Amino acid sequence: MIDDPLSVITLVPLFMGLALIVLPRFLPKSSAEGLMRVSRNISMGIALAVAAITTLLFLGEWGSIDWTDITQGGYVLQNEAVNLIPSIGVTWKVGADALSFPMIWLTAILIPISMLVEWDAKRGHLFFPLLLIMEGALLGVFVALDLFVFYVFWEMTLIPMFLLILLWGGEDRRYAAMKFFIYTFTASVFMLIGILVMYFHTEAIAGLGSLSGHHFDLVAMTAQENLIPSEGLRHFVWILLLIGFATKMPSVPVHTWLPDAHVQAPTAGSMLLAGVMLKMGAYGFLRISVTVFPESTLVFVPLLIVLGMVSLVYGAWVCMGQTNLKRMVAYSSVSHMGLIFLGIATMQPLGIAGALFMMFAHGIISPLLFAVAGAFKHHYHTLEIGSMRGIAHHSPWLAAHMMLGWMASLGLPLLAGFVAEITILIAFWMTYGWLVLLPALTLIITAVYYLNSMQRTIFESNDPEKGILPESLQGEEPSDLSWHENAGMLTLAALTALFGIMPFIFWDMMSDWSSGFVVDTMIEAMQAQEWFP
Amino acid sequence: MSSMFSDLGLHEAILLLPEITMLSGIVALILIPNLGDATMRIPLTRIRVPVLIGGTRFDFTSNPRLPNHVTNAVLFLAFFYAALLLNPTNLSEYSLEGGPGIGNLLVVDEFSRVFTLLFTSALLLASMATATRMPAMHDVTIPQESDSPETADSKVMALIDNRRQVDFHILLLTTGLGMSLMAMANNLFMLFVCLELASLSSYILVAFHKEVDVGGEAGMKYFIVGSVVSAVGIYGMSLLYLWNGNLDMADLAASWSAMEGIDPLAGIGVGLMIVAFAFKVGAAPFHLAVPDAYSGSSSPIAGVLATASKAMGFVALIRLLVIVTMPSSGQAVWMLAIALIAVVTMTWGNLAALTSDNPKRILAYSSVAHAGYMLAAMAAIGSGLADASTTSMILTAVVFHLLVLVLFKLGAFLVLSMLEAEGRGHRMEDLHGLAVRDPAIAVSMFVFMLSLAGVPPLSGFLSKLLMINGIVSVSAGTGPASATSVLSWAQGVDPVFWLAVAIVLNSALSLFYYLRIGLVMFFETPESDSPLKSSPSLEWPLSLRSVIMICATLTLLFGIGPMSESLLDLVSSAVDSLLSS
Repeated sequence: MIDDPLSVITLVPLFMGLALIVLPRFLPKSSAEGLMRVSRNISMGIALAVAAITTLLFLGEWGSIDWTDITQGGYVLQNEAVNLIPSIGVTWKVGADALSFPMIWLTAILIPISMLVEWDAKRGHLFFPLLLIMEGALLGVFVALDLFVFYVFWEMTLIPMFLLILLWGGEDRRYAAMKFFIYTFTASVFMLIGILVMYFHTEAIAGLGSLSGHHFDLVAMTAQENLIPSEGLRHFVWILLLIGFATKMPSVPVHTWLPDAHVQAPTAGSMLLAGVMLKMGAYGFLRISVTVFPESTLVFVPLLIVLGMVSLVYGAWVCMGQTNLKRMVAYSSVSHMGLIFLGIATMQPLGIAGALFMMFAHGIISPLLFAVAGAFKHHYHTLEIGSMRGIAHHSPWLAAHMMLGWMASLGLPLLAGFVAEITILIAFWMTYGWLVLLPALTLIITAVYYLNSMQRTIFESNDPEKGILPESLQGEEPSDLSWHENAGMLTLAALTALFGIMPFIFWDMMSDWSSGFVVDTMIEAMQAQEWFP
Repeated sequence: MSSMFSDLGLHEAILLLPEITMLSGIVALILIPNLGDATMRIPLTRIRVPVLIGGTRFDFTSNPRLPNHVTNAVLFLAFFYAALLLNPTNLSEYSLEGGPGIGNLLVVDEFSRVFTLLFTSALLLASMATATRMPAMHDVTIPQESDSPETADSKVMALIDNRRQVDFHILLLTTGLGMSLMAMANNLFMLFVCLELASLSSYILVAFHKEVDVGGEAGMKYFIVGSVVSAVGIYGMSLLYLWNGNLDMADLAASWSAMEGIDPLAGIGVGLMIVAFAFKVGAAPFHLAVPDAYSGSSSPIAGVLATASKAMGFVALIRLLVIVTMPSSGQAVWMLAIALIAVVTMTWGNLAALTSDNPKRILAYSSVAHAGYMLAAMAAIGSGLADASTTSMILTAVVFHLLVLVLFKLGAFLVLSMLEAEGRGHRMEDLHGLAVRDPAIAVSMFVFMLSLAGVPPLSGFLSKLLMINGIVSVSAGTGPASATSVLSWAQGVDPVFWLAVAIVLNSALSLFYYLRIGLVMFFETPESDSPLKSSPSLEWPLSLRSVIMICATLTLLFGIGPMSESLLDLVSSAVDSLLSS
């Protein structure tokens, strides 16, 4: 078996994707065309192989890892660090724990599904390799234990997503792609400055940073006692990092790129954007800000609550006024990401585990929602919610997936979203008491907008025979989902139900990690600051 | 003086191989285009002996691209020899027992050879790009009496164009020769003579570009300002000579450290020389001719000015500031001046670039800003807080930055050169939609911009990080460790620390215009949809297009991975060879 599966699943998709794009330009014409014809199948094959490897890793068939036994600071599947730039202390160092592994698995599963949903994409010889590059970059963010490499992958995810929006997007794609790029790039510059300040505070370790005397090793940074001694500077760095992460998540007030990017992005792009890219923000926040600076996190808990609450309430409120299906789902993502901040702000093992589960659950529900929205656009040529009635009659499969996705998103029990929401709310109640009423009542708003659009699009019909079809169809009869769209959505729906009924598959390792995290990292800081909510 | 060259032998010839190559290249450029089939009849016999000079030229000698090929080959050879000599064992094998010096004017060490690599590679790239830029025609005939005036005129113009090829390439080689010798100079006088050889050639190269009206004006302006500044520098040097009696650097350094207080003669002399060298690196407030010169000259030449010429200025500055006038302990006299110049330079450069609409001017101002970053690093050395290893690290960062600038700054100018070849490249609109017209070139340009801005993992980030790291590591320790708030810590820290903050803030500011160039290539609609002329420019394997792509790839490879490490090792041992001498 391979010694270092994490590096393999990161680098193979990355380089294969690049090769599939670049090679046809250098090959003779006939073989280049042959390669372009099969590049879709090759991409799918690689994506499936990565998904298989990741699943085997989880099931313990490969390397027999006990996933519930990983505590914060302990990583499995670590490789022998490879020096990339020893003079400034950059190494290729990967590892996984309960925080990153669900995200790794999610990415590995979502890529083949999104490929499947857009199996008939135009210019497939570019589209599918780009998704592979995306997969490599996203996995790189989650496996990297070196901040330099982390940052490089973080920026690298921008490029395929930017190209997906620019080349396969809707009418306003230029504006959306530019806004997406500028927002996230500018924010990550703040993050880079924060990382550099951390870098300059690291102590030299043998063999690393021969020229600079510092290193980017995240594990060693976490272990270093009191990385930034000056309290003010520490808070400053924490804020810089937060700007980078909150923009990616996104949290109000830096969320405005998200709806535009989502509306214009192709279906697969939206699925990955909502499913995995948004989680990069929450992941980075937990992995770097909270882990390395627990004291600052405690100080800024009120800020987290405000950001989380505002995102939650504002996102849900704006959803009610949306008539564009994708825009509504995008704002509901903002709303759900707010819950993650609230979960972290509880500083309880239960709340943090809930936030982790929220990251995962939203990662399978929102791709389903965007796949549905994309299919809707595909078959009905519109995204306006009010323009049609009774699609259950015309496209029963589409209506079924739409129902399930919306139900999962508003938190129906036995679906994945419910587990995350209820645990975060319980933990929030345990810490902050009746303040929980605000997020809890917001769930009602969520129910309102979902049920409202459900009634208007899926069921209500002025003419029981036909329903009302949007004008954009120009009188044609809409078709139902094609086989590949249906297959992709069925998989997502099955996962939603699976993790709703059996959340313990990932919940156990998440809650163990969170308890260990609170006990090891937070308690000390809490006692030092006499922080009792 | 007479003994200076008496001991020139085979060893010195080998040590000076790159320079000798360039010198013979110049001779070849003068001779080869004149070769013809002229013969001389030996008197009283019927035997004709070919004399080669004159007559009708052979096919290959009448090829107007010949000077370009010769120059490419010569520069490549010089690059190759310099790389061979970089190996310390090769160097020491051919060095004299008394050290690597030649006479007491030149010293051949790894430091100077690293810069020879830099100069020759920059000139090689420029020379490759020039092949498509300079008009030249095959089969031009001399005008006949039967020709109409127009035909005669056009024939004359074509002949002049062909003739200009030789001039241009000779000037390229003299620039290279001057720069390369200058990097080895161990004596201020020698340094200045070589500097002037390179500068005078580059003034003409700037004015050579007659495709646009401002070419001549740019060259004139650059020449006038340059010669005034040189005069200032020479005046400063004469003051130093008055003070010390000779201009040998080791001797000057000894006198400088033995001096109590600052002798006015010496102080003013050094100050005036700093002005001369600051002009060469394009530092504010002596940079005002720079944007005009860059935008008036052809892009490859602008690229040479922004990389090789700037590096030449920095060699002079390093020699003057770090070798001659750096006290063994405490702050150097020039520290405050250089720090001030650095901050003004980078801010001015970035602000001016932000408001500019001409891509060449933007690159010119960005080049000014980069000079500011490097001067800030030099100021950190002068602060007196740096120990030997930190000094070596900062110098390594500066030299590394100068080296990789050749890839991404000159690379960006080469992209503009491709646009100029179709008569554009002076307006932002000319870059619009480049991604549609030629995706590979647009991606390369984007890589260059990101590297200039200092985005990981490109080499521009690595060098900038090392410079900031140098400044921070000399200064951060001076802040009171007990400080609880940022403010009280900031009040206690040595002012040098703020240079690092200035670099970071300026880099953030510069992102706007670098990204702007990047974004217009991808988002705007091109004015014409025709693909960029992927000219099979040189009649040899490397087209300009692939050269640009190679530059982009190397920009990445020198930023991360084993290649960056070996280049850093190379630079750092070169810097050690400078500091230990």
